[in-house]
Amino acid sequence: MVAAILHSPPEIPVENGRHIPGNKGIWVGITCEFVEFVVLFAVYFIARAHFPDAFHEGAQRLSVVAGTVITLLMVTSSFFIACSVNAIRLGRHRAAVAWLVAGLVVALGYPLAKFLEISWNLAHGIDGSSGIFFTVYYYLTFNHLVHATWGILGILWVLARLLFHGYTAEDHSGLEALASYWHATDIIWLIIFPLFYVLA
Amino acid sequence: MNLKIDRFRQLTATWLALVALTLVGLGLGEWFRDGRWLPLLVAAIIWLKGALVARHFIESHIAHPFIARLLQGFIAIAPAALILTAFFGDTLARWATL
Repeated sequence: MVAAILHSPPEIPVENGRHIPGNKGIWVGITCEFVEFVVLFAVYFIARAHFPDAFHEGAQRLSVVAGTVITLLMVTSSFFIACSVNAIRLGRHRAAVAWLVAGLVVALGYPLAKFLEISWNLAHGIDGSSGIFFTVYYYLTFNHLVHATWGILGILWVLARLLFHGYTAEDHSGLEALASYWHATDIIWLIIFPLFYVLA
Repeated sequence: MNLKIDRFRQLTATWLALVALTLVGLGLGEWFRDGRWLPLLVAAIIWLKGALVARHFIESHIAHPFIARLLQGFIAIAPAALILTAFFGDTLARWATL
């Protein structure tokens, strides 16, 4: 993902008259990310079909507050980063920086919330060996956290470039590439959240 | 396509809708915990939230057809699988048994 942001072309790429948000490289990465999570979701649904009771009971033991907080952090950081793209398109550099900083701060709340959630889980005797539901839960949510961490590193890089006027109203495909990756990671969490925390 | 129009209001409305749908989904999960049709509602909310992010944050409606289809497909997979698992779980388990 960072490579796709680093080697962003100078103008907004358009192919067949349709806009490519960011650049082609980031969409290769996002496609791979989607394929990975489709496989993980297949594991989730096959396990759920085999052990419906374990999934029904397991979801009731998780912290709904933690899941809700992470969801609100993800959608809010996504919104802030979309506002940053909107601002740079309009030539409002300072506003773009402010929105991206806000997006970064809120995004950093995700690993913090996840750390607190895992601590809460362990204090309540929930670990990777607590049953099929929790094995799938840890595997899927940790994978998502890894992808979100890449996104946070990407935000840091794009923010550094933005601070030094690396993006303008005419050339901001690197910022758009980051935003696309973060929104895609947001979509994945919006699927994970109800599967583990709502369907109790 | 004109990408230089101020979309702040649209983005804010999308964010508020995502927050509202998150809270509504939680409420439905609590109130109708044993409802047989709860997975249908949850699947609908998953699809709607994904579609909102894709259309208003990623702007999939003006994106390259591959990107638009990729997003449409990915957003539809989990809700479809959820409905299949909820109503045909035994059949799915039989098919997925080694």
